[in-house]
Amino acid sequence: MTQTPSQTPGPEAAAPEAAAPEPVTAEPVTAEPVTAEPAAAAPEAQAAPTTPQAAPGRDRYLDLLRAIALVRVVVYHLFGWAWLTVLFPSMGVMFALAGSLMARSLKRPALSVIRGRLRRLLPPLWVFGAVVLPLMFASGWNPLEDPDQGGAWGVVDLFDYLVPIGAPPYPEHLGSASGLLDPTWAEQACGPLWYLRAYLWFVIASPLLLRAFRRAPWPTLLAPLALAAVVGTGVVTIPGETGNAVTDFAVYGGCWILGFAHHEGLLRQVPRYLAVSCSALVMAFGLWWATGHPGPEGMDLNDIPLAQATWSFGAVVILLTYSPSWRELPGRLRRWDPLVTLANNRAVTIYLWHNMLIMAAFPLLDLAYDLPFLQSDSATAALDATYTLWTFVLVWPLVALAVPAVGWVEDLAARRSPRLWPDGRRRRGRGRASAAARA
Amino acid sequence: MAFRTRRPGPATPARTGSRRRRLPLRLLVPVLLLVALMAMLMLRGYVHSEILADHRIRPEAATDKVPEKILDGGPVIDTRGGRTESLRIPDHRLVLTFDDGPDPTWTPKVLDTLKKHHAHAVFFVTGTMTSRYPDLVRRMVAEGHEVGLHTFNHPDLSYHGKRRIDWELSTNQLAITGAAGIRTSLFRPPYSSFADAMDDKSWPVTRYIGSLGYITVVDTVDSEDWRKPGVARIIRNATPEGGKGAVVLMHDSGGDRHQTVQALDRYIPLMRAKGYTFANLTEALDAPSAHTPVTGPELWKGRAWILLVQASEKITDGLAVGLAVVGSLVIARFLLMLLLSGVHARRTRRRDFTWGPGAPVTEPVSVLVPAYNEAKCIENTVRSLAASDHPIEVLVVDDGSTDGTAKIVEALGLPGVRVIRQLNAGKPAALNRGIANARHDLIVMMDGDTVFEPSTVRELVQPFADPRVGAVAGNAKVGNRDSLIGAWQHIEYVMGFNLDRRMYDVLRCMPTIPGAVGAFRRTALERVGGMSEDTLAEDTDITMAIHRDGWRVVYAEKARAWTEAPETVRQLWSQRYRWSYGTMQAIWKHRRALVERGPSGRFGRVGLPLVSLFMVVAPLLAPLIDIFLLYGVVFGPTGKTIGAWLGVLALQAVCAAYAFRLDREPMTHLISLPLQQILYRQLMYVVLLQSWITALTGGRLRWQKLRRTGVVEAPGGPAPRRRTADSTGNVDSVNSTGSTGSTGSTGSTGSTGNVGSTERRPVA
Repeated sequence: MTQTPSQTPGPEAAAPEAAAPEPVTAEPVTAEPVTAEPAAAAPEAQAAPTTPQAAPGRDRYLDLLRAIALVRVVVYHLFGWAWLTVLFPSMGVMFALAGSLMARSLKRPALSVIRGRLRRLLPPLWVFGAVVLPLMFASGWNPLEDPDQGGAWGVVDLFDYLVPIGAPPYPEHLGSASGLLDPTWAEQACGPLWYLRAYLWFVIASPLLLRAFRRAPWPTLLAPLALAAVVGTGVVTIPGETGNAVTDFAVYGGCWILGFAHHEGLLRQVPRYLAVSCSALVMAFGLWWATGHPGPEGMDLNDIPLAQATWSFGAVVILLTYSPSWRELPGRLRRWDPLVTLANNRAVTIYLWHNMLIMAAFPLLDLAYDLPFLQSDSATAALDATYTLWTFVLVWPLVALAVPAVGWVEDLAARRSPRLWPDGRRRRGRGRASAAARA
Repeated sequence: MAFRTRRPGPATPARTGSRRRRLPLRLLVPVLLLVALMAMLMLRGYVHSEILADHRIRPEAATDKVPEKILDGGPVIDTRGGRTESLRIPDHRLVLTFDDGPDPTWTPKVLDTLKKHHAHAVFFVTGTMTSRYPDLVRRMVAEGHEVGLHTFNHPDLSYHGKRRIDWELSTNQLAITGAAGIRTSLFRPPYSSFADAMDDKSWPVTRYIGSLGYITVVDTVDSEDWRKPGVARIIRNATPEGGKGAVVLMHDSGGDRHQTVQALDRYIPLMRAKGYTFANLTEALDAPSAHTPVTGPELWKGRAWILLVQASEKITDGLAVGLAVVGSLVIARFLLMLLLSGVHARRTRRRDFTWGPGAPVTEPVSVLVPAYNEAKCIENTVRSLAASDHPIEVLVVDDGSTDGTAKIVEALGLPGVRVIRQLNAGKPAALNRGIANARHDLIVMMDGDTVFEPSTVRELVQPFADPRVGAVAGNAKVGNRDSLIGAWQHIEYVMGFNLDRRMYDVLRCMPTIPGAVGAFRRTALERVGGMSEDTLAEDTDITMAIHRDGWRVVYAEKARAWTEAPETVRQLWSQRYRWSYGTMQAIWKHRRALVERGPSGRFGRVGLPLVSLFMVVAPLLAPLIDIFLLYGVVFGPTGKTIGAWLGVLALQAVCAAYAFRLDREPMTHLISLPLQQILYRQLMYVVLLQSWITALTGGRLRWQKLRRTGVVEAPGGPAPRRRTADSTGNVDSVNSTGSTGSTGSTGSTGSTGNVGSTERRPVA
């Protein structure tokens, strides 16, 4: 692998940012300043010629949060358990982390920051679109005739696969129930793309938001919640994709600006008891609202904007208030270090592809019914009963395949040399084992 | 930038390893208790149809798949072994059937009426009611009636799959077996009516139930007694036309059934006069009985089930009573506190208020500062004393510190500050040494990490103007109140000092002078023999002793001392464990006061019961509140439960706000009160539960000897931990108490050592 000098060294280089990722840049392969992070994975390598004080290093607590958020999203999309949205508000956490990094980057000129973010966000989406769109077309989707898309506009909307100013369109049903994939596979695969639209708008709005935040921190912080109250209570309803965009902006805007507040140190100024107690009240309100306004899946916060906004906001305040700023994962968490690093380096990839992989896991798992030792009625029944569980088991190897297959695009987008399996352990095997071998 | 790495040193695995062994001992019993209680509650909710109840009723469906001969046939449908037959009741025979029972009020009356008229009937009983009132089912069988299944908790079976149907019937059968020792082959589906009401949804269920070996019994005449239409109407409804035989549907449960009972009393003679006979189903059909006796394991299973349900019923009923008791205790205590603290505040804040003839007290005071490894705090402590506006001498008693505490004090070179060194012997010994060396007759005791205001000592000794006052409690305040755990303790301290202590002051039974800020008359100390090592809470011990000696113990609200509250749960845990266990020890030590005469008896009969009730017994029942809360939120009337909880919270908030106002504290910290109620209170009662367990298991015989093992065992403390004279006599007790795990665990906190840092008690 050749070494590509990074054009923008410094903190920004560590924040390519799409689905929240801030890739771990510590690998010596890159020419970027080596941070202290990989030492966590290989304590004995700590004496390696690194320059500990060169970079501020990564906050492994935030990395851990992001990894948990990602895993929670995958599990939620697999099992569909509504309570998971209450257990850990993944999307809010991811937006908050992204907002914090955005505030950090905005020390530099706003335009170049936005350009850098887009540069990192779009290529992975293009690759995803290049795979998914032909698949959908081949399955018989014609955006011109799709009643949900509205004729010629449906074609125009496809532009969202290039630049997601709106959530990229997809057919609600494709293929037949007897086909290899579930007829809702397109919806399943492309449904999560709304995140990219929301992220894009947050990035574009960030210079303004940050200026407003610095001028009037508290009103700016609370404004999205107020907006969520307006949109979420149905006082104002905006139809169509614009409405979705506004709702998402309102629901997660609070978390994004909390990221600002974390970075600017506003949260540290509030006594901890006050922050936590107020958050608990806000969260209690969210739960109460959710019980009174259940969505189609019951207490699934994703369907209840105001509840999602308040619950996520409160949870993020608590998580960031207790932010311990780990240089490395402590104690027993340390064994998860490579996975946390990998999840952070490939957050966009995992987020973009995970639902597609879940859909792919089903036909793969169906092959198991043909296995000779699973022919008895009881074996089939047992397989039926544990079907989702096996999907869960199967989806992680698929993710592990997708990471080397398409993950390197993230590196190219960040103008780094592509890596197949960036889990932070490269240093040890450098020169001996190739990354491919490890992948 | 500093590079903070936390390497896993050898100490870390060792500590986590030992923690893994200890944690279960400390938590297992409380957790098991809670789980058992919760299970009991769930079982009870289950047989009371509060859990898993299904009240859906399927609307009528098409009937094209039901065989004609069933629709037109009799009420007894036999689909066993692939049959599709129905039987009619022969003419002039009536089969009375009663659904949904047994009911504790109405079923006995129905049975009495039937007995009076020598009639037999069929009772289709649900599993839930059978489990709750097994005696009634036993009586039915004994009096010649037949019982049939009516499912376990009365769902519309057409909504459910085979697995649920199997379960409904087998559990129903289990309950009947447990109650009466028989199995029955009769079944009536919930929400059923006539045979011609069978439809495409219920017919497959009937066929399936037949395949399980049951005969389905519907009815031919519906009395509609559940509508309470009046006795005459019920009789008319229940009368078949033209002398035909019939299965008559009535209900002995599900509401007020007095019309049914009255109607029955007239109906039976009326129909007998028309030539009818009353028999149970198999008698009417001249068939063998539907009951088969059960023996062996099945019978025992049934009996075990009944026993379990009965136990859970009784226990949860008892718990509900306990909850009511706790609730009224808590509320009564709050009201009493509000009242008495108001009285106290008004009394002591009157403009012309004086403590007594000697006011103002200006005589010099000796301040004792026992210190064990207080290097971080001792300088602040001593400097704050040096700024005192009252004439004092300061004695820092260094209890064998290993961190140079004594040297720090000496290096300050402050006038009037003396340092006394001793080998590590514990806080009571240090205090006794201080008393022996003190020059003045008024003695103030404080902790090595506490900071006084300039006026604290002066305010603290003013009550000694009254010669009857033997000891004074000051007002300890939490300095580090910005963290959550600090804010919670702040609320606790403010309430403890401004409500509890004022109340105890008025009632003249204050149980504790806080170790962080308290003053004593030397004569009082000497009369009770100074500090004692008998308990883990020597401050409570000495306060009780002074009470028993006839002295008054009062509260001086303006004597403020600023302390640092524990910042971690583990430190807090060990502190509170010492307090609660120490308080229990002290109560036990002074139990004789209960029967003594004079001031000791007064304290024993007013103070000790009060303290025991609110500090030892009531918190033991406090988990009930949470269990019922959790249960109510999940299964019960969620709105009402949360409403009740918010009501109690509001009462607490009022009390807390009053306490804050009395102490002139800003109210902002009260915002953490709701969280305190759902996170902090539980910690406190688990600690208390642990103290109970220690007391009941390891501590009982060695009560007096237990002493400071839990406290002294600071991790890696190289200092000799107790006087050698003591050690030989106490080897046994140290080992055995250590083995209970709970005492030992307090040592693993790595907290501040054995003296100071712990003895500032907000509540009593």
